[in-house]
Amino acid sequence: MSEEQQRTLLQRLGLPLALVAFVLPIVLQPDGLDAAGHRMLGIFLAAIVLWITEAVPLYATAVLIIFGEILFISEATVLPLPEGYEAPPIADFYAALANPVLMLFLGGFFLAEGAAKYRLDRNLARVLLRPFGTSPSGIMLGLMLITAVLSMFMSNTATAATMTAVVLSVTATLPPGDRLRTSLALSIPIAANVGGIATPVGTPPNAIALAGLTEQGISISFLEWMLATLPFVILILVAGWWLLGRLHRSDTKELKLQMEGEFDRSRPAMLFYGVFAATIALWLTEPLHGVPATVVGFLPVVVLLSTQVFGVSELQNVRWDVLWLVGGGIALATGMGAAGVDEWLVGLVAWEGLPATLIVVLLAVIALALSTTISNSATANLLVPIGLTLAMSDAVAVDPLLAGIIIAVGCSLAMALPISTPPNAIAYATGAVRTKDLAVVGLLVGGIGLVLFLAVAPLWWNLLGVAGM
Amino acid sequence: MTTPRLVVLCVEDEPDVRDAIVRDLAPFEPTVVTETAESADDAREAIDEIKASGDRLGLVLADHLLPGTYGVDFLVELHDDPVNSRTKKVLLTGEAGLDVTIKAINRADLDRYIAKPWQPDDLRGIVKHLLTDFVVEHVDDVLPYLTALDSGRLLEVHGTRAADR
Repeated sequence: MSEEQQRTLLQRLGLPLALVAFVLPIVLQPDGLDAAGHRMLGIFLAAIVLWITEAVPLYATAVLIIFGEILFISEATVLPLPEGYEAPPIADFYAALANPVLMLFLGGFFLAEGAAKYRLDRNLARVLLRPFGTSPSGIMLGLMLITAVLSMFMSNTATAATMTAVVLSVTATLPPGDRLRTSLALSIPIAANVGGIATPVGTPPNAIALAGLTEQGISISFLEWMLATLPFVILILVAGWWLLGRLHRSDTKELKLQMEGEFDRSRPAMLFYGVFAATIALWLTEPLHGVPATVVGFLPVVVLLSTQVFGVSELQNVRWDVLWLVGGGIALATGMGAAGVDEWLVGLVAWEGLPATLIVVLLAVIALALSTTISNSATANLLVPIGLTLAMSDAVAVDPLLAGIIIAVGCSLAMALPISTPPNAIAYATGAVRTKDLAVVGLLVGGIGLVLFLAVAPLWWNLLGVAGM
Repeated sequence: MTTPRLVVLCVEDEPDVRDAIVRDLAPFEPTVVTETAESADDAREAIDEIKASGDRLGLVLADHLLPGTYGVDFLVELHDDPVNSRTKKVLLTGEAGLDVTIKAINRADLDRYIAKPWQPDDLRGIVKHLLTDFVVEHVDDVLPYLTALDSGRLLEVHGTRAADR
C-alpha cells in the first residue's frame, strides 16, 4: 500500500501555521502565564492548528504534544523553567498512553477484534434481524437497533461497514431509483453515530470525557453512563427511524433477507463468546461487585492472550492510532493543568454574568459544529480540558459531569456531512446517498438529539442523582 | 480531491473485438474505465498516458496474436516492470498454445485465461473479482470503488482498516 496522497492546501499550510502558533505566545508572553505557561499555550495552539488542518495524521499530533511537553515543561526540559514552577516528571506525560481509560478502550478493541474474527457481529445481525419481519420499516428499525447496539461495544466505523454490507445485500434487488435504498443506507450511519453515545467504550470522545472527569476526581461508572445516555439514544433512534420513513418515498412493500451463515462453534470461538459476555456483564454490574470498568476492561485482554485465543497478530491489530489519539488529549489536559493554561484560558472570559444553561448549550453547540468538519476525537481533545476547567471554576455553576458528557454527546451528534464521521463516508460511498440527503437527515437527527440532551436529559440525570443543572 | 479512476487496458488488434469488450465493461463506469490499444507499442503509450493522468492501471486484458510483440511477451514485460507488476493480467485469446500459456503463468503471473468467444457475464465477473483484489491489495481507501466492484469484500476490508476518528 504505497500511495501518494494528494494534499490539500490546508494540509500544506498546516505545518508552518502550527509553528507560528507555537512560537507566538512564547514571543508575545501574554500576562498571567509564566514561561512554562507560554510554552504550553504554544503547544495547545499548535495542536489546534494540526488537528484542524490534519497536516500530520491525528495520532502524530498526539505524540507531538507529548514530546513537546516533555521537551519544554517537564523536568527533562531543554529550556530553563521559571523558579517556583514545579516541573512534572516525564512519566506524567508518558503515562497518558497507559491511562486507565485507554485500558478500558483496549478491552473494547479486543472484544471488537474477536467479534470480527469469529464473525459474531454478522451472525448476531443475521439472527437478531429475523424478528423484524419483511416490511421495509420493520427491517429499517431492526437494522438501526442492531447497528446501535453493536456500535455501543465496537467501533462505529466497523459496525457501519458490517451493517452497510447487509443493507446492500437487502437492497440489491430493488428497482433502480427506489428511494428505500437511500433510507436504508442512511439509517446505518445515523444508528452507528448515535449508538456510540451510549457506553464509555462506544466511541473515543466518550473515553476522552471520561478520562478528563477522572482527572478532576469525578467518577461515573459504566452503568451510570449507560443509564444517563441510553434512554435518549433510544429516543433519537426512534425519531431518526420515523424521519427516514417519511423523507424518502418508496412503493416497496416487502424486502427479502438473504443472510446466510452459522455461528462459529470452535473451541476458541466459544471461549471468546464467554469472555465477551462476561466482560459486558461485569461492566453492567459494577454496583454489585465494585470492580471499576477500567479494571474489567483489562479482563478480555488478559484472558484472550493467556488462553492463546489471541496471539501476536490480534495484538498487532489493536488500533494504537486511536488509543494514542485519545492519549494525546489526556496529555494535553495534563500539561495545560500543570502549566495553568486551562485556568488562564477560562479566565479570559467574564463568565460570571452568564447562566449555566447557556454555557452548557454553548459547549454542546461548539462540539457539534467543530466535529461536523474535523475529527470527533480531536474536538473532544480540545474542548474537554477547557470545558471541565470552566465547570470546575467558581465563576460558573455548571456540573462538570454534565459538561463532560455533553461535549462527548455533541461530538457524536455531528453527522451532517460525508466527512463528519467515517460511518457517514461509508453511506455516501454506496452511491445511494447524496450529500443533500445526508445533510437533511444529519441536521435533523443531530438537532433533535441536541435538544433532547440539553432540555430533557438534565432532568433525568437529576432524578438519577448522576448530574444536574 | 478527485479519486483516481481504475483503468482496464484492452490490448486487441481486431476493432470488433475491442468494441465488444468496451461494451461489455461499460457497466463499471465511471470509476472503472476501459482503454484500448491495438498493439503492444500502442499499449505502452497508453500506459504512460494513464500514469500521467493519475489514474491506476488495475488490469490488462491482452490478446496473444498481436502485430509486433506477442501478447504473452507484453504481459511478461509488464510483470518485470516494477511500476506495473501489481497490475492484474488476463489473457483473452483463442490462439495461445500450451507453451505460451505456460510462459504466461510462470513468467507473467497470469491471473486468468479467458478463451474466445466469451460470455459477457463471465468477463464482467472476472474483471470485478480481479479489480477488487487489486484495490484490496494496493489501495488504502477502498470506499470510492464500492459501487463498481465487490462491495461486500470492500466493506469487510474497510471495516478492519478504518476506525472512529
